[in-house]
Amino acid sequence: MTQITKRNANKFLKDEYDELVKNHIEWNICVLESGSKPHSIVNGKEVIMMCSNNYLNLSNHPRLIKGAIEAAKKYGAGSGSVRAIAGTLKIHTEVEKRLAKFKRTESALIYQTGFAANSGLIPQLVGEGDIVISDELNHGSIIDGVRLTKADRAIFKHRDMSDLERVLKDADKKYRRILIITDGVFSMDGDIAPMDKIVKLANEFGAMTYVDDAHGEGVIGEDGRGIGAHFHIEGKIDVEMGTFSKAFGVVGGLIAGSQDLVNFAYNKSRTWLLSGSHPPAVSGAQLAAIDVLETEPEHVRRLWDNTKYFKKELNSLGFNTGGSETPITPVIVGDSGKAKELSNKLFDEGIFALPIVFPMVARDKARIRTMINAGLTKKDLDFALDKFGKLGKQLSII
Amino acid sequence: MSVKIGFLINPIAGMGGRVGLKGTDNVLETAVKLGAQPIARLKAEEMLCEFSSISVNHPDLVWITCDGDMGNNELEAVGIKNKQIIYSPTGNTTSANDTKAASKIFLNHHLDLLIFCGGDGTARDIFTIIDKKIPLLGIPAGVKMHSGVFGITTKATAKILQEFINKRLTVGDAEIMDLDEELYRKGEWKVRLYGIVKGIIEPTYIQVGKTYFESVSDDEVKEELAEHVKDELEKYQDWMFLFCSGGTIDYIAKKLNIKHTLLGIDAIYQKQLIAVDVNEEQILQLLKKYPKAKILLSPIGAQGFILGRGNLQLSPAVINKIGIENIIVIATPSKLIHTPILRVDTGDKQLDHCFAKQGYLMVVIGYRLSRVVKLQTNSF
Repeated sequence: MTQITKRNANKFLKDEYDELVKNHIEWNICVLESGSKPHSIVNGKEVIMMCSNNYLNLSNHPRLIKGAIEAAKKYGAGSGSVRAIAGTLKIHTEVEKRLAKFKRTESALIYQTGFAANSGLIPQLVGEGDIVISDELNHGSIIDGVRLTKADRAIFKHRDMSDLERVLKDADKKYRRILIITDGVFSMDGDIAPMDKIVKLANEFGAMTYVDDAHGEGVIGEDGRGIGAHFHIEGKIDVEMGTFSKAFGVVGGLIAGSQDLVNFAYNKSRTWLLSGSHPPAVSGAQLAAIDVLETEPEHVRRLWDNTKYFKKELNSLGFNTGGSETPITPVIVGDSGKAKELSNKLFDEGIFALPIVFPMVARDKARIRTMINAGLTKKDLDFALDKFGKLGKQLSII
Repeated sequence: MSVKIGFLINPIAGMGGRVGLKGTDNVLETAVKLGAQPIARLKAEEMLCEFSSISVNHPDLVWITCDGDMGNNELEAVGIKNKQIIYSPTGNTTSANDTKAASKIFLNHHLDLLIFCGGDGTARDIFTIIDKKIPLLGIPAGVKMHSGVFGITTKATAKILQEFINKRLTVGDAEIMDLDEELYRKGEWKVRLYGIVKGIIEPTYIQVGKTYFESVSDDEVKEELAEHVKDELEKYQDWMFLFCSGGTIDYIAKKLNIKHTLLGIDAIYQKQLIAVDVNEEQILQLLKKYPKAKILLSPIGAQGFILGRGNLQLSPAVINKIGIENIIVIATPSKLIHTPILRVDTGDKQLDHCFAKQGYLMVVIGYRLSRVVKLQTNSF
C-alpha cells in the first residue's frame, strides 16, 4: 500500500531560508576561534575586534575567569532547577545583593538574559486599560515585551520630550496605569535618553519609568554604574533594567529598583519562573565583574579615553560620527552598498566592524558601527584609523 | 526583467489656473482667450530631465506612450529612445476623451506603472478606466491637485519613479479627489473623494532579527488596524460607529464583514450595518436614537485632511454632538510619511479653534499602537 502524504510538513524550512539567501539577508555566522578579545581570530583571520559589546574587555579578565572556575568547583556545573523551586543557589542571592549595592538601589534581581527580563516583566507591569509609552527607536526586545501585554501602546518621537508630554497629557485622561519605557543608550546611534527629564515628566503624571540600560551598564555613570548614576538620579527610575552580557563581560539580565519591584517581578515574570537558573560559573563571573568595576576604575577610564581619541581622529579625517555620546561610534557612509563594501574591505585589512544599513537606519544614513573597547591599545586604534582613512578616500566617503 | 512604464501627458492641464479658472475641463477655449500657456509639457519635461540625471541607464526600461504632445514629443526631447507609441490623438486639441481612450489601450500593455502629467481632473479621467488595475504616479501640473497620487514637485516625482524602479517603494492605496462640481455650481468650493486607486508608497518595516527588518505589505498593516477596530467595536458595544470613506477604512470594514460604502459614511451598531451612505441630516437623526457615537476616519488625499475634504457629511453640528474626543483617526505608517501633518477645515471657526487648541492628535497606526501627529487648521 502506498502512503499518501497529506502535506510536506517541513518544506517551508528550506523555502524560507532560500528566500533569505536570495535577498542576501541571511545571517552568515562568523566563528571566533580565540574568545572575544581585542585581537580575535574570526573565520581563521586575526582582526581587531570593533563590533563586540565586551566594552571593558572583562570577558578575558583573570578575576572573572577565576570567579567562574571557583564557583563551578564549589557549586558544580549546573543549578538543577528553576529559581523558584530548587534552583536558587547562595551565589545567585549574593550577586543580587552586590548588584543592588553597586546600582545604589534598594534591591535587584537577576534574569536568565536581558531579553527574558524585558519579555517577562513588561507584560506584568501593564495590562488592559493601561498604556505603554515608548521611544520610537527602542530595541526589539522591548517591542516584543510590549506586544505580550493587553495594554495600548503609544510612540513618542526619539528623545523628544515635548512629544512625550503630549502623549502623557492624552493618556492621563484615558488610562489606569502609564508606563514610560526607553532604551538608556540607543544601540544604533549611541545617544543617551534624557532620563532626568523623563523621570520629571513621569512624576508629574504619575507614570512609571522603565529604562533598558543594556548599553549603558558598565559604561556610563560613575564607575560604570549606569544611567541612574549618569544623571545622578539613582533609585529614582522605577525599573533600571540591564544586562551582564555586554560591559560586564558575562551573560544574564538584571533589574534594579525597589524591594516591592523585585518581589513583584520574581513572582510574576513567566520567563524567570519557567527557565532554569544560571550555572554557578556564570554567577561567579558576575560577582567578580562587580568586584572589578568597584576596585579597578581604570577599565571604564580607558574605554572613555579610547572612545574620545577614536572619535576625534575619525572626525579630523573627515568622517561623520553622528550624535553619539558613548563608545558606540557610527561611521556614517550614506549609501547602503557602500557601507557593506567598506565593511568587507575593512575585514580584509584586519578590522572587524559590521555595516548597519537601511531599513535599520535611514536610507542615506547607512554606516559602519564601531564599538570601542577598553582593551584596544593606541597602536590598535591608530591601525584602525589608518585603514578607515585609506578606504574612506578610496570609496570617496571623505 | 523589463519594466514597462506608461507615460501620458494631458497637454492642456493647468492652463486654467494661471488665468483664474478652477480647472481646464470644458473651458479650454476661454482659458486660451484669457492668455493661458501650456504648462503640462514643461512639467513633464522637467520630470524626465531630472529622472535622466539621477538614474543610471536602465536598458530594460520601456516607455509606453501616446503620440505628439500627449507624451512622445517630451520623451524625444530628453532623448529617450526605448519607447512604444500606442495611441495617437485625432483632433488638433486633445480632451478628456483622449486621456480615457489612451487609458483603455494602456490596460492591454501589462504596465508596471502609469505616469501621467496633469491635475485632479486628469487623475479622475484615468481612474474611470484604470481603476486599481495599474499603479498611478502623477506629475503635478494641474490647477487642482488634492489626489494622493501626485509627487510634491516634478523633482520629487522623478525621485519616486527612480526608487520605484529600484524596488525600494511599493504599491498601496491612494485617493482620487476632485472638486465637487455639483456644489461648485452652487457656488461652493469643496473637494470630495471620487475613488481609490493604486499609488506608490513607502513600505512599512518590522524588525524580525536583531539587525534586519522585513517590509510588510500595506494590507498586513491594515489587517492589524482591523484587529484594533474590532476590539474597539467589542469594547464599546452600545455605541454607534460612523465609518468614513477611504481605502483604509474600506479594507477594515471588509475584514469585519461589514458591507461598506467606499465613498460615503456608514453607520454601524453592534457590528451590524444600520444605515448606508448617510448625509448630515440622517446622521443627526441617528444620533437621537444612538447618542453615544464614535467616528472612525482616516486622512485622505495628498494634504492629509481628516475633516473638510471628502466627508462633508461630518458637519460642525455632527462633530459637536459626537465630541472631538470620540473621533478615532486611523492611518497606516506609510500614509503618515507623506502626510506628517493632519489638517482640519470644518468650515466652523469655533470648532476649528477647538482642534487648533489641541494642536495634536493621537493617530492609531497599528494594533493598539498610536502616535502623536501634528494638526493644522488653516485651510488651503
